[in-house]
Amino acid sequence: MATIASVRPIIGMEVHVELSTRTKMFTRAPSPGCARFADAPPNTLIDPVVLALPGALPVMNREAVEMAIRVGLALGCQVARFSKWDRKSYFYPDLPKAYQISQYDLPLCFDGAVDLPGCDERGNFEPGAPGLRVGIVRAHLEEDAGKLLHEAPGGRPIDFSIVDWNRAGTPLLEVVTQPDFSSADQCVHFARSLRALCRFLGVTLGVLQKGHVRFEPNINCELTLEDGHAVRTPVVEVKNLNSYTALKRAIEHEVFEQPARWLADGRRMGPGMKSTRGWDDARGVTFLLRSKEDAHDYRYFPDPDLPPVVVDEAWRARLAATIPELPASRMRRYAHEFALSGKDAQALVEDRGTCEVFEGAIDSMASLGVERIRAGRVAANLIMQSAARLAHERGVEIGDLGLTGAGLAALGVLRERGRINNQAVDPLVALLAGSMPAGDALGAVEALARTQGLLIVRDESAIEGWVERAIGENPRAAEDVRAGKEAAVGRLVGAVMKLAGGQADGKVVREAILRRLGSG
Amino acid sequence: MGVVEVREAVLSRRVTAREVAKAALGRLAAHADRLGLLTQPLTDRALEQAAEVDSRLASQSGDEARSRLPLAGVPIVVKDNLCTSFGRTTCASRMLEGYESPYSATAVARLLERGAVVLGKANLDEFAMGSSGEHSALGPTRNPWDPSRVPGGSSSGSAAAVAARCAAAALGSDTGGSIRQPAGHCGVVGLKPTYGRVSRYGLVAFASSLDQVGPLARSVEDAAAILDAISGVDPHDATSADRPHTDTLASIGTPVEGLTLGVPRQARGPGNHPQTARVFEQAVETFRGLGARVVDVDLPTIEHAIAAYYIVATAEASSNLARFDGVRYGRRAALGPDDGLDDLYSRSRSEGFGPEVRRRIMLGTHVLSSGYYQAYYATALKARRLVQRDFDRCFAAGCHAVLMPSSPGPAFRLGEKTSDPLAMYLEDVYTVGVNLAGLPGVSVPAGFARVDGVELPVGVQLIARAFDEGTLLRAARMFELANPAGRRAPP
Repeated sequence: MATIASVRPIIGMEVHVELSTRTKMFTRAPSPGCARFADAPPNTLIDPVVLALPGALPVMNREAVEMAIRVGLALGCQVARFSKWDRKSYFYPDLPKAYQISQYDLPLCFDGAVDLPGCDERGNFEPGAPGLRVGIVRAHLEEDAGKLLHEAPGGRPIDFSIVDWNRAGTPLLEVVTQPDFSSADQCVHFARSLRALCRFLGVTLGVLQKGHVRFEPNINCELTLEDGHAVRTPVVEVKNLNSYTALKRAIEHEVFEQPARWLADGRRMGPGMKSTRGWDDARGVTFLLRSKEDAHDYRYFPDPDLPPVVVDEAWRARLAATIPELPASRMRRYAHEFALSGKDAQALVEDRGTCEVFEGAIDSMASLGVERIRAGRVAANLIMQSAARLAHERGVEIGDLGLTGAGLAALGVLRERGRINNQAVDPLVALLAGSMPAGDALGAVEALARTQGLLIVRDESAIEGWVERAIGENPRAAEDVRAGKEAAVGRLVGAVMKLAGGQADGKVVREAILRRLGSG
Repeated sequence: MGVVEVREAVLSRRVTAREVAKAALGRLAAHADRLGLLTQPLTDRALEQAAEVDSRLASQSGDEARSRLPLAGVPIVVKDNLCTSFGRTTCASRMLEGYESPYSATAVARLLERGAVVLGKANLDEFAMGSSGEHSALGPTRNPWDPSRVPGGSSSGSAAAVAARCAAAALGSDTGGSIRQPAGHCGVVGLKPTYGRVSRYGLVAFASSLDQVGPLARSVEDAAAILDAISGVDPHDATSADRPHTDTLASIGTPVEGLTLGVPRQARGPGNHPQTARVFEQAVETFRGLGARVVDVDLPTIEHAIAAYYIVATAEASSNLARFDGVRYGRRAALGPDDGLDDLYSRSRSEGFGPEVRRRIMLGTHVLSSGYYQAYYATALKARRLVQRDFDRCFAAGCHAVLMPSSPGPAFRLGEKTSDPLAMYLEDVYTVGVNLAGLPGVSVPAGFARVDGVELPVGVQLIARAFDEGTLLRAARMFELANPAGRRAPP
């Protein structure tokens, strides 16, 4: 038996993204991919088309097509001037028509590529690290199936199955990459980036636990044998992974197992050799679903109920114009322009609203005389700390807090000018979220800080009074400072701050104490 | 009374819709069982609909009523492959025995809005698959001219009910001749509109790229009145055409100036019954007598149309009928403890579908199978384009319409062709090409064939450019007026 000298994994990705259109792919029934209907009770998002009642006909949802084209453009794809819908036939109780409407040989988008930014081994963006170019074979639209449940709601065992057709007919975007990956980490990195991109474009809710984004890696390995020959193992497609962890573990498992399988059965990549496997998360192994020999004959043919999709240049251009600067590009730019860490830059571009608040804050601060690079750091800190904490508390995205760039900028400027201290930031962010005063933001935020008693007191006589009291109450500390023990000044500063109720600037207080005790 | 007569009588308040419905229901009750006209009478429902029309009329001025209720009180039957939100929709199949649709087909809804009254659901070949009316799970429909003969199909009950004067008009569906061929055999007018003219929403699909809903009526004028009511774009059917509404009825009496008719060499094929051939030549002479220019044209690919049709139609049917799986509605086989999902599918479908439907599903599944797609389906699509081009050439040469027989022979006896599917399929030789090309075609009664001592109606078919039902029906109306033979009712 041959000995394997080295193993090179070759992996391509198929990703299904559930679009967030208000209605389904081919009918006006509400779609569970839309936040408003996400938690609808079973079998309530249905109509004659969803249930494939006799006589019902599909009608294309233009919004879904536009979303798909926008993702395609963002992935650098060509948009087909002419594409069509095909029927993929198989019987299963969750598939009401017994065929799925999909796109077989003429996908809506094709031939693209994306450059994944370089990242460290934990998947954090690392400016300067080498990136990875991933070829996109196609991005096409299809409809989702319903869900088969094998236990009753509440977990009661049943000896039959029940079907929830809410998900049936929901628009799905399927993105297929070239086999350009050579590790599980790269695949996870791509998966994260694609999800972020789709969320950025506002085309999916992107909740992994709900199956809004599902991954299907196609994995095989090139084995280099000791005699120098190379062989390729048969391709395995792992179905329906809906977490990054499962994606990573399933790929790693296959990359580990495939050389051993080859040693055992000698099967190589070739026609009829591809197999489909599922992922058993509890046991951490893949298992055979079907081999090519018993694969379905899907009998694809063009759907006669649906006219072809014709995308003219005007339509394409109009959609292209709606595509904002994309997260990967923003992330590189943020890191470079504002000298942010890769991790912070990555976190900022998770959500488009966050980017808008961030960039708006920088522009406002710059117009108030703060240097842009400094403004970037201040805005990033405000967002990554106070705003992120508040968003987490409220269970929303940072961009959905109702903060404005101008409001955040006003906070940043007050902080920069020493008008508020760090402790004042969180409560002010919470007050500004959702109720940003109109007009002069700086004036309004300053007034707000004042009424909340969060403005730093600059009144010299007041500070001197507190310093006097603090020295009187802490004679030992005052003695130490007079004796040149500067470390003891901290205790006095603390005492003054306590008397001032936190409304004094530490730096000013410190200077006042040192001046008073003659060591300044 | 026909459509226009009833409408005029009811709008001028000479008679109530309820009186019309009662009379029609009485006549229907006398003949429905004898002739196998219906899958289901809707007597009570029809009387309610008629009463509603009367009360709508009572609250409207004459002009208002004329524009809103152009079919006031018109009693019709509806082929039972069109969904109705009342009664059952069975497609004459055990598969849909007892099935109740939650919605009505757009064509049906439009008729009801305009004041028509649905007397019952008309019998048909199961799922509209057949050319004789014999493939119904409820038993065959019989020809009112000779009950030992078939009425043609698949809109068998629709054609026979109109011929037997049990309904002023009927809705049928035509995938390969299913309106025109039975219209010819029963001596009534049958119109297959241009593909896309009438919404297919709620028509239980047989072959989606060929199916079209259309009227059967006693006169061209009546057919036009029904067409005007049901045509138009529908947001529920992406293949329905967004065309300006045309009032076909208003211009029906205007003769076509300088009418030029193309008669294909292939219309005079050796397969024609001699009596059909005779009536056809008489029809050509009638048109000549009207001043029409009759020119020879050639449809060389029409002989391949049957083959192409039976590939395209069965392929689409195999897919369209896959939804009848016993899971959500329709027939579900009783299963034993050891039976699985595949048993549910195969047993429910074997029990539910009749032999002709099963045959076509198997054919269609085969032609779409991996390895056969190119040889069959892709080739059939090419042939389809050639058929379209043949017709285009006729129109480009200046023909207003093409004239052909509606079928090669008159109505045959029940059972005569059931054991020979190929002979049955050849019944459609003159009609399927029109569906493949998506054109409008109308069958008009032309005369009678005397066979075994019985007079049987013979129809001729006119075919026009896509969306030119106006010219098509004007030409048909010219012929109808010149040829009163077509007005006769069965004995």
